[in-house]
Amino acid sequence: MTMLKTMKMKKRVSANGIIQACMVLFFLFCVILPIVSMLCRITPDGLREMTQSPQFLPAVRNSLTTALTATVISMLLALAAAWCMERTRIRGRAVFGMLFVIPMLIPSISHAFGLVALFGNNGLFTKLLGWDVGIYGFWGIVVGSVMYSFPVAFLMLSGILQYEDGMTDQAARVLGIPRFRRFLGITLPYMKKTLISAFFAVFTMIVTDYGVPLMVGGKQITLSVLMYQRAVALIDYDSGSVIGACLLIPAVIAFLVDLCNPEHGQGGYVSEPVVPEKSRLSTVLSYLWCTLLSLLVLAPIFAFCMMVFQTKYPVDSTFTFEHIEKTFHRGADEYLLNSLLYALLAALFGTLLAFVCSYLTARSKGVLGKCVHLFSITSMAIPGIVLGLSYVIFFHSTPIYGTVLIVALANSVHFFASPYLMMYNTLQKVNPNLEAVGQSLGVGRFRIVRDVILPKVRYTLLEMFVYFFVNSMMTISAVSFLAPPSPKPVALMINQFEAQLLMESAAVVSLLILLINLLLKLAASLLRRNAGKE
Amino acid sequence: MDLQLNRKLEIRGICKSYRNHAILKNMSFAVENGEFLSILGPSGCGKTTLLRILIGLLPPDAGSILKDGCDITGAKPSNRGMGIVFQNYALFEHMTVLRNVEYALKFQKIPKKEARERAEHMVEAVGLKEHASKMPRNLSGGQQQRVAIARTLALKPDIVLLDEPMSALDVATRLSMRAELKALQSQFGTTMIYVTHDQEEAFALSDRIMILNSGEISQLDTPENIVRHPANAYVQTFVLDNLQAKVDSLARFIGGK
Repeated sequence: MTMLKTMKMKKRVSANGIIQACMVLFFLFCVILPIVSMLCRITPDGLREMTQSPQFLPAVRNSLTTALTATVISMLLALAAAWCMERTRIRGRAVFGMLFVIPMLIPSISHAFGLVALFGNNGLFTKLLGWDVGIYGFWGIVVGSVMYSFPVAFLMLSGILQYEDGMTDQAARVLGIPRFRRFLGITLPYMKKTLISAFFAVFTMIVTDYGVPLMVGGKQITLSVLMYQRAVALIDYDSGSVIGACLLIPAVIAFLVDLCNPEHGQGGYVSEPVVPEKSRLSTVLSYLWCTLLSLLVLAPIFAFCMMVFQTKYPVDSTFTFEHIEKTFHRGADEYLLNSLLYALLAALFGTLLAFVCSYLTARSKGVLGKCVHLFSITSMAIPGIVLGLSYVIFFHSTPIYGTVLIVALANSVHFFASPYLMMYNTLQKVNPNLEAVGQSLGVGRFRIVRDVILPKVRYTLLEMFVYFFVNSMMTISAVSFLAPPSPKPVALMINQFEAQLLMESAAVVSLLILLINLLLKLAASLLRRNAGKE
Repeated sequence: MDLQLNRKLEIRGICKSYRNHAILKNMSFAVENGEFLSILGPSGCGKTTLLRILIGLLPPDAGSILKDGCDITGAKPSNRGMGIVFQNYALFEHMTVLRNVEYALKFQKIPKKEARERAEHMVEAVGLKEHASKMPRNLSGGQQQRVAIARTLALKPDIVLLDEPMSALDVATRLSMRAELKALQSQFGTTMIYVTHDQEEAFALSDRIMILNSGEISQLDTPENIVRHPANAYVQTFVLDNLQAKVDSLARFIGGK
């Protein structure tokens, strides 16, 4: 009798193990094996051919110089903005905070397209003011990349500043250490780990993006554009794989840095937040800086609005809906539906998967759990275009290739790490004894999860859903390899319209994506605010 | 057999180790029916592990647990007629006080009406009648602890395990909770096993105290006998000297009057 019961107990434990093993298999088939199969495409001949081609070395050089310059600028702008927001007494921080992250809701290619709309051959500044700044080339890539990566850097840096311990700052203030020295001597060392992580994350984000350099790079071909040209336009997967492997290097370094550099103090307890010092000068400077930055990062969106609603931008400014109508006639409605479907599927599947994974890793121990955790955050290290190419190679002869599912799957995997970590951190803070209490009361694990844990973490679930949705709406990386043959999402139309000189339609699409993402974000935050009032 | 009738719970040779580190070393003891037993020891001495083995959340490496003469070593936690109250309460945060107490009854095949009545009765017994429809987050620490106790007692366990239930409460609340806990014990006739690292609490509450030191029982006896005949140097220094220091520090003021 006792034996039987002991066996039953063991069986219960291994049910957990079975799900963990399934997760490991999932990551094996959807992350590891596709990447391996891409790397297996690299032959000594292909490698030699690619690296000795006249385009390769300049592309490496262009990638490194533009990405490094843009990363440094982006980090400096973000650091200054984060400091203004967290360490001075400016008002309207919520508004600035929102304005700064709005650019995260449009595809990278839209930022660059915004630059074209403002400074390109037919741009506002070029036509009206006669400025010809020549955005095509190095500086175009740098500025576009800065606009695209600034929100990410800002979020990481302002996040860490929020969690600085106010007691240390007060102690230093009492000791008479001046403000600037406190920043250099206390705050910056405290931020060191996050600064390093953010630097690598932003660099990787920029160097693996092909949207900006494709649109405004001109003759400056970067590695990511080269990969796009070879693998998407010429369907040359062998050269694509070589470049993909190159692009994997900075991403893997960033991943390892993050792994060796864990926890930036976020989520820890802060006895007291830092109280900003009163200073008129710094407040005024902060207003100026934040306003200037908002204008800069939102400039493309202003340009889109003008292009969309004016008859002939920038010369005839009478109001019209004509461009929207025409864009829909050009097939945008169908592509928009594709995008919504992809986003919805990826959000549903991704959220479910990320919840199951984080529940397993955050609330049970064991080697398999650790494996699942490592796999889960590995997806962070894989650039979208690399994932896309490896999916083409790996899934080419499977029935899901060319369907809606493969794109939704690619998006779920590509954007997996952040939502996973959101839920992982939330679940770790949920009382660790809940399942034990349930067991002692005769309430099973599944019921405890459904009745107690899920209601508690429902806003994190919502946040995860929104994250998957928004990113799937605007991504142009992995999908560019998978669609066609899969139905095309609307974000890929921006490039196509621009190439056909249908500038207004490209603007309509950018604005449409922004609008949908913005609405979803607003709805989510309204839901949460209403719940907060209860 | 007659001799064992009073023995509510008997633990025989329980061993547990993690990664070659022995947490519990061949531990045997018995708990009498209706007894209040404290398990006293510093953090890391194995007291929480012992509690988790007793309720069945952890399997022991060796040894057996007998309750009313039956072997329950491998039984499911919910089939042992035991309840557990945790230090940080582990309340169901999205349910009202009443729902917290009622929730587990749903799974016991108890008719709805009866479950509701029993839950209401328990909430009243712990003095939370006016707070029955509140959410846990709107209660004080002591009140939350009462909800956890009511939730456990609602299933009518004959043994309740308490894992440092007072450690998150302030001193005044602790004192009043002690009295309430004793009152509940006599009202429901429950056997209680109470884990604590607070010597004063153990002496104030217990019929007997088990003093644990690195996975072994240093002494298991009534408070009086422990004071009179400490079994070894550890009991003397960790328990008695500490208590004496507390008494001394106050005697200056109180005795002087």
